[in-house]
Amino acid sequence: MSSAADASTDQIGVGIVEALEKELAGALLGSEVSGSDVWVRVDRAAWRRAVACCRDGLGFNYFTFLSGIDWKADTDLAGEKLWDPNPPGRGDQAPGEGWGTGLAGGDSRFQVMARLQRVPGSVGVTLKADLDEGEPRVDSIVELFRGADWHERETWEMYGFVFDGHPGLRHIYLPTEFEGFPLRKDFPLLAREVKPWPGLVDVEPMPGEPEGGEGPDAEAGAES
Amino acid sequence: MGLVEQGRIPKPLTTLLNRARKYSLWVYQWGLACCAIEMGAAFGSPRYDVMRLGVIPFPASARQADLVVISGTVTDKMVPPIRRLYEQMPDPKYVISMGSCANCGGPYWDSYSVTKGVDQIIPVDVYVPGCPPRPEALLEGIVLLQQRIQNEDMSRRWRGEPIVVGG
Amino acid sequence: MTVATDWQKSAYIGGQAADARVHVEIEAEGMTLNIGPQHPATHGTLRIVVRLDGEQVVWAEPVCGYMHRGYEKLTEVRTYPQITTLVNRIDWLSSFANEVPFILAAEKLMDVEAPPRAQWIRTVLFEMARIANITLFLGDMGVQLGALTPVFYAFRDRELVLNLIESATGGRFHPNYDRIGGLKEDLPKGWIAETKAVMGKMRGYCDEMEELLMGNEIFQTRTRGVGVIPSAIGLSHGLSGANIRASGIDWDIRRDEESPLAWKACDWRVWTHPDGDSFARYWVRLQETREATRIVDQLLDGLPSGSIMAKVPRIIKVPAGEAWVHTENPLGEMGYYIVSKGGLGPFRCKIRSASFSNVSVLPWVLRGTYVPDVITILASLYFILGDIDR
Repeated sequence: MSSAADASTDQIGVGIVEALEKELAGALLGSEVSGSDVWVRVDRAAWRRAVACCRDGLGFNYFTFLSGIDWKADTDLAGEKLWDPNPPGRGDQAPGEGWGTGLAGGDSRFQVMARLQRVPGSVGVTLKADLDEGEPRVDSIVELFRGADWHERETWEMYGFVFDGHPGLRHIYLPTEFEGFPLRKDFPLLAREVKPWPGLVDVEPMPGEPEGGEGPDAEAGAES
Repeated sequence: MGLVEQGRIPKPLTTLLNRARKYSLWVYQWGLACCAIEMGAAFGSPRYDVMRLGVIPFPASARQADLVVISGTVTDKMVPPIRRLYEQMPDPKYVISMGSCANCGGPYWDSYSVTKGVDQIIPVDVYVPGCPPRPEALLEGIVLLQQRIQNEDMSRRWRGEPIVVGG
Repeated sequence: MTVATDWQKSAYIGGQAADARVHVEIEAEGMTLNIGPQHPATHGTLRIVVRLDGEQVVWAEPVCGYMHRGYEKLTEVRTYPQITTLVNRIDWLSSFANEVPFILAAEKLMDVEAPPRAQWIRTVLFEMARIANITLFLGDMGVQLGALTPVFYAFRDRELVLNLIESATGGRFHPNYDRIGGLKEDLPKGWIAETKAVMGKMRGYCDEMEELLMGNEIFQTRTRGVGVIPSAIGLSHGLSGANIRASGIDWDIRRDEESPLAWKACDWRVWTHPDGDSFARYWVRLQETREATRIVDQLLDGLPSGSIMAKVPRIIKVPAGEAWVHTENPLGEMGYYIVSKGGLGPFRCKIRSASFSNVSVLPWVLRGTYVPDVITILASLYFILGDIDR
């Protein structure tokens, strides 16, 4: 349902993308606008410039969050078996055929994303950048936004991304002796390996019925 | 007391001492997570008053406490402080594990940073299930602990034998 | 000649100086004080290492992670209804408020709109969760400063709100009441009238706190001018909620953003304070609690009738996409960034919790303060450990 309000908020988003394109020239690799929400993907080398442009030129003064995402297909999560009557096609992510990434596209397994907002108001921008799979590094934005300090430490801890220029990348959540990067898709949850999740409860046969009685979709009851 | 080690305390005296001990527990509140709020409601709110059971929730430090209620999720990072504070408590000491996170890991049973139950670190006397358990459930746990204390044999405890309760 | 320690030397010099009535400054190394992780004043298991010079803090560093339960990894191996249960426990004092942005994000991806009655009831419960949460803060800040009575009042009056939440949802906290597409079930009979009565009582509680605590001379001396956070520093750190409003920024997500929930359907105002000190943060939260009671009253007056659950499939599968939804939670701005690949559970769910950013301002704000003021500032910033550590 498009209305005048939607069109005008789309305009704001489009305006932001245009301003960033002008500033970054070829480093803007992809974008998506939806209402006053903007997703922009930039080149890794232009990460800091893009954030600086948002803060100084476009008035994004509030730091919402910074995090990462690992686009590897989660077939590697050992022990995780969610019973699924119609499993989604895992074919949208064949190895070597691109990563099937989300809004504003993506080209690699690791992406760093940050969200900034214009306060007061409701306009926000999500910035993304592709990182190298073997050695994920990107510039730190601590000098631009002080809040990035802790967020970058957390992202380093969970994914292993190295932020150049950060005053001190050290553990923030996990104990110092922790090995591994938990949020990567190849970090297994050991408790689930020992005892895999059997699936949704709907698979339980009703007492008194033969095994494999009715399918779970047969009746819309109030089960959860 | 030398009498305790030798096991020569007469039964009426043991009963009296146990009765005195069970109605004067000082609770050290080890409030970690959501269960701590229910524990706070049990200890601080006038409705689920815990002082009517003789339990005083205000010891100044672990060294003055008889009972510790571990309420909330125990993470691996938190284990050394818990162990150290447990060891600071003087004997005889009791532990109530409150909430499913402290009992067995709870809803975070598969997390990489959660200890699956505080009984992997310290011995627990009473487990109070729930997520979070109502304050009345904690009060019931304390009452069960009091029954356990009543039936304790101090000489066996002193010698380090397991406590047999009941009968 | 015996070897004397630094301390002994200092003591000797000090003693001689005192005898001769000479003023002498003794250079001594600062002391490192460890506040936490088990400490009555840190709202949970937060550890703050401070380096002191006398009574003044030279350098402070919070060490968090003692309550890190790995939420973001757990959400990747759970289905959406299971995550609703789990997510309640992030900000454990206002549990319903944590469910709402998550459900809204999932609904955004599924393109499902809950019916109006469900949205209004969600808003009512959201505001009641705010009242339950901030009520405890109002009493708890007193305890941190040494006033024991307000917290007993807080627990007593909070019980009223928790009773209502329990009668509607079944759980005192952790209600797990929100579902994708609506709510679990409708309100019980008589709930609306009782809620209105309780809202009146909560207004009485706010008045009580205003008189008892805010009007107290000692409270004012201890909080005015303590822990001033300029708005630019706050925004750069990501400070949100009442903390940033107390520094003068007029920003409230309920008012400023389009949301399916019913905040625009009633008349209320946003409170700000120009000072940015601890007193301002307490004052703003007190006014917000009163405002929340008024919102609940207005919404209950105009509650639409109808169904409370939209038509959604029995087994929820959210189509592929990315969505970001944030709301004005009691602690600040809480948001969920859900990346879905069409499965039963999210592919990645980034939880943006307010307290993580609120606490990141501590190293900046604690420098130069005195040790008792450290406790005041911690109390006034108001964080919940589950929110920091997720």
